[in-house]
Amino acid sequence: MRGARSAKWVAGAIVIALAATACGGSDDDSGDDNDSGKAGGTFRMGITEPVAIDPYNAQESEGILVTDNLFTGLYEPTSDGEVVPALATSKEVSSDGKTWTFKIKAGTKFSNGEPVNAEAFIRGWSRVAQKSAASDVAYHMAGIAGFDDVQAGKADTLSGLSAPDENTLQVKLSAPDFEFDIKTSHTVFSPVPEAAGDAKNKTYNEAPIGNGPFKMQGKWEHNKSITLVRNDDYGLTKAQLDTVQIDILNANNGVTLEYQGFESGQYDWARMPTPQLPTAKAKYEPQDEWIQQDTNGMNYLLPITDNGPMKDQKAREAVSYAIDRDAIIKGVFQGMYTKSTTILPPVFQDVYQKDLCTSCIKQDKAKAKQLASEAGLEPGSTLELAYNTGSGHEEWIQAVQQQLEDVLGVKVTATGKPFAELLEDQQKSGATGLYRYAWGADYPTPDNYLFPLLDTASINKDSSGNVTGDNRSRYSNKAFDDLVAQARASNDPAARNELYKQAEKVAMDDMALIPLWNRTQLRLANTKEFANIEMDFHENPNLAEISQK
Amino acid sequence: MGRYVARRLGQLIVVVLGATMILFACLFVLPGDPVGQIAGSDKARDPAVIKQLHEQYGLDEPLVVQYGNYVGNLVTGDLGEDYTQGRPVTEILVPKLGNTAKLAVFAIAIDIVIGIAVGVVAAMRRYSIWDVSATFVTTLAIGVPSIVLGMIMQRFFVVELNWFPLIADGSFKSMVLPAVTLAIIDAALVAQLARSAMLEVLRADYVKTAVAKGLSRRTVLFRHVLRNSVIPVITYLGISFGTLLGGAIITETIFNWNGIGLALIQAIQQNNNPIIVGVVTISVAVFVLLNLVVDLLYAALDPRIRLA
Repeated sequence: MRGARSAKWVAGAIVIALAATACGGSDDDSGDDNDSGKAGGTFRMGITEPVAIDPYNAQESEGILVTDNLFTGLYEPTSDGEVVPALATSKEVSSDGKTWTFKIKAGTKFSNGEPVNAEAFIRGWSRVAQKSAASDVAYHMAGIAGFDDVQAGKADTLSGLSAPDENTLQVKLSAPDFEFDIKTSHTVFSPVPEAAGDAKNKTYNEAPIGNGPFKMQGKWEHNKSITLVRNDDYGLTKAQLDTVQIDILNANNGVTLEYQGFESGQYDWARMPTPQLPTAKAKYEPQDEWIQQDTNGMNYLLPITDNGPMKDQKAREAVSYAIDRDAIIKGVFQGMYTKSTTILPPVFQDVYQKDLCTSCIKQDKAKAKQLASEAGLEPGSTLELAYNTGSGHEEWIQAVQQQLEDVLGVKVTATGKPFAELLEDQQKSGATGLYRYAWGADYPTPDNYLFPLLDTASINKDSSGNVTGDNRSRYSNKAFDDLVAQARASNDPAARNELYKQAEKVAMDDMALIPLWNRTQLRLANTKEFANIEMDFHENPNLAEISQK
Repeated sequence: MGRYVARRLGQLIVVVLGATMILFACLFVLPGDPVGQIAGSDKARDPAVIKQLHEQYGLDEPLVVQYGNYVGNLVTGDLGEDYTQGRPVTEILVPKLGNTAKLAVFAIAIDIVIGIAVGVVAAMRRYSIWDVSATFVTTLAIGVPSIVLGMIMQRFFVVELNWFPLIADGSFKSMVLPAVTLAIIDAALVAQLARSAMLEVLRADYVKTAVAKGLSRRTVLFRHVLRNSVIPVITYLGISFGTLLGGAIITETIFNWNGIGLALIQAIQQNNNPIIVGVVTISVAVFVLLNLVVDLLYAALDPRIRLA
């Protein structure tokens, strides 16, 4: 899970009125756009300090940027929500969905010369699952037979994994899963060499030896830099860039520094502070250096559906109708976001059902009032709206608060809390009202939204009634659960997608979540010196494909 | 003298213990499990992982036991492990402390050189155009918040003119802007302080005597005036060295200087308690030690002051 850092990039923004007079970027466009780049060059960018760059615990966009370029697994996600084979040459799933057999490309090597074979995958996956690893991403392996034993310390190797021959990996699952191949596109499913040792091997954590298009030069200089160089022995299509120089910036000012770095020609890829967006767009869009893309992430209002004023579907619909998304996007987000009218993000093209949420399309005060009164959400009653502070959410929360008060006549109590506290509140049995919420999938499948966010099994209340799963809205509808279960049991991707679309419709009709806007990501990219620059599934530059012009 | 130093060092232990105890109590009664959520995300951790982390960091023990363990380890120089990466706090903080110290020393040097020079010139040429401009500029410098100054300098000298590197690499060149930002307010205060102290000393009888004796202007200035007027400046610098940490939080954030100010602010945002306690413990110790040095300096500069 890559979680909701949706507004992280706003956090460092400090408004300072200074005219941008310099000619940023670099020299004039010497050659016209041509994609036949040449090898060589150094690509420079800034990130914030990752939690880990070792696949055992790489989790957020920054950590995955590094890990993904150091390691290559069976499958890879594409920027438009598909997966494509990487080292896997074939896959086969048993009719019960519990046994997967992958053929692995023969003869590829780690950068220290060790072979990348089925054993290397078994080693890598088992290493993550061990209890002592305390890995935040180990749960992706929970479906593999023997996971519980390894977690409990009773075994070192996942019993569900075996290597019938050097280049064949067989995976036995404890429950049917016809999308297991998609899951292996996550970096946690990387192979590792014997040199890796266990997950707590500090030497390896700081300078992982992998089989990816790049390798580490030196080790991870914490809070300072990470340098990647091309792996000339890479087993698939080799990278073009010689070097990737990654500065590690502080989270509070990183966005501003990235932008200034791009303007002064010191970076080739950058995020921008929100207040600078219109200036940056006006300047860089005509130069073809502006990237704007809806990515794998959604912003919602999370209604607590089992308690309080949001228990009634009509009350939730009233809230949705009462919000003027267009005005907020224009006023607060400088027009840079796109409105969301679905639960699944537009990047999942195969299942995207634009305007599925009719109440999201346009503000309708009359309908909002009527639905509110039918639901007993009377003027003068109180509605809680909670959000986390320090991440740039204040402005739009205020706008939502004002719109709800104006349209519905209710009293909205907007409460800002530190993140940890907000989460604890949200999980408590007495939670009520609305919460800010955002979600991004770990791998490109609708299931990774629908199941964790909305399935009854994901509520997972503990003995004192606190929600421990990700279904914080406590949405529970048998029709929805059945459709998801049917989808999961289907071996046909097209039929599966059809069922996921039906399930999304059920949840949307129930207003189980209130969509706000898509996760729109904006970047500057140095297209004058580099060809083929794109934003990948993890919102990073596609380093392995970029070439010099 | 030896006994005095020993007593002051004894006080240091008490102050550090007190500070850690207060911090511990504050941090650990805050709501929210410090390892309950994945850093920077909406997602609660897997309960099995939380349990494992509680064991690893000793968070399953009662607060008193945790504090006892902390102090026990502190004696051996072990400040525990941080909660996001599981690295030893000393390994994280020692290089950062070095970086902040480098910046602070540079800043203090600017304070002393520029501050005293401006103060001396202003006092010697009282009411001249130099004096009036010095008063004007120093007042302005004190009034402008360092965050504004830092960002303007960064914009102008780094982005527009490209004179300095954007990202600090530890070189002298990359230290200039952060050190100036950090120093500017104190340098202005030092200048004003030095000016008024000088003016007072210039009126003293022993200065008149020295001049009457026919000593050279230079000898009077350096041997008699400067030495006697520098004491309030040293007092101020001693205290400001400690408060530089506060300024360092802002300066280090703007210029991405990898020091303990930046470490502290990020740790607070992440509920990374071991780092918070570590930074504060170290700062308290440094502050107390610096005060001791300042007191010892008094005695060296002014024989009338006796330490006991």
